[in-house]
Amino acid sequence: RALCPLVPSAPAALRALPPPVAVGVLHTTRPLHTTQQSLAPVPPLPEKGGEVRHGVIPEEFFQFLYPKTGVTGPYMLGTGLLLYLLSKEIYVVNHETVAAACILTVIVYGVKKFGADVAAFADKLNEEKMATALAMKNGAIQTLQTAIEEEKKEQWRVEGRNYLFDAKRNNIAMLLEANYRERLLMVYNEVKKRLDYQVAMQTLKRQKEQDYMIQWVEKNVVQSITPQQQKESIAKCILDLKALSKTAHAAV
Amino acid sequence: MAGRKAALKAVDWAAFAERVPPSQRAMFNALKTRNDALTTRLAALPEKPPAIDWAFYKANVAKAGMVDEFQKKFSALKVPEPVDTQTAKIDAQEKEAAKSIAEYIQASKARIAQYEQQLQKLKNMIPFEQMTLEDLSEAFPETKLNKEKYPYWPHKPIADL
Repeated sequence: RALCPLVPSAPAALRALPPPVAVGVLHTTRPLHTTQQSLAPVPPLPEKGGEVRHGVIPEEFFQFLYPKTGVTGPYMLGTGLLLYLLSKEIYVVNHETVAAACILTVIVYGVKKFGADVAAFADKLNEEKMATALAMKNGAIQTLQTAIEEEKKEQWRVEGRNYLFDAKRNNIAMLLEANYRERLLMVYNEVKKRLDYQVAMQTLKRQKEQDYMIQWVEKNVVQSITPQQQKESIAKCILDLKALSKTAHAAV
Repeated sequence: MAGRKAALKAVDWAAFAERVPPSQRAMFNALKTRNDALTTRLAALPEKPPAIDWAFYKANVAKAGMVDEFQKKFSALKVPEPVDTQTAKIDAQEKEAAKSIAEYIQASKARIAQYEQQLQKLKNMIPFEQMTLEDLSEAFPETKLNKEKYPYWPHKPIADL
């Protein structure tokens, strides 16, 4: 109990975990990270790293010394340390030092000049990957939504099947009705034709008889006119004409 | 005349036309023209033929008894109604169609459920910026690298790169 004073304050979740398996057995089956707290999504990494001064010394160091030594404290510490190391020859200046100085100069120069561009380039590569992935995801969402729409539309379309069958039945009914009416009409027409034929025959016969009789009567009348009658009728016609002409003259 | 006037059900051609898929438009047009042709034909025929004026014919036709005979036979004549052979087939077709349509709608609903599920999964995904490679493999199992089959980097056949 004295060795682990923090046990009482351990979260209940940890205590709820099953105790570790006995010594000697591989701890592969011990369930870790199964409670709600550990299943939450990991918060994203911060965008920028910690603040540094002169590229390598973290800002926290300066803040740590500030209350006691003020602003110049860390610099004094650094200079003093450096001079101590050099003067006591704890750090020996040899050809490696010169090499290090040259290399570091080049490196720092390179980073300062090209750093931002390289960073932007790398960021752009990453951005492109993200953009492709995002585009794919959005495309997939769009496709799924249109697919759902299409399915719903097809279901709606299917509801129209009743119309099809009604139309077909209508067609059949109309066809039957039309046939029936045609048959009735045919019967009527045939009967009427026959009756009309009879009537027409009769009227034709009567007419022919009439014509023949008239002709016969005329022929006989003409035959019966004797020459004596003809002369008399012509003389009468002339007298009539003269009388008519007199009245005509008078009228004019 | 009783079985004749099975009322023609009014078909809403506009609504029908809306629901025809483009691939079946030709069949629909054929059906419609057929229907229109039949309607005009039916409309052109009178429902009953005009009545024959027996009195006129009796007065004018000289042959004795001919008109009476005609009249008797005419009124005794029963024009047979055309027999309806196809409606039963249509009803059978309709039942079949109802069945297959029910199946299709079932399948369609299943598909919609599937799509909905995938849609939900995609929508609830964490944004790519916050994903690790493991999270990506979880969300899209097809990107998971098969480290058993290809133990050496890049863990997939070179052709797939």
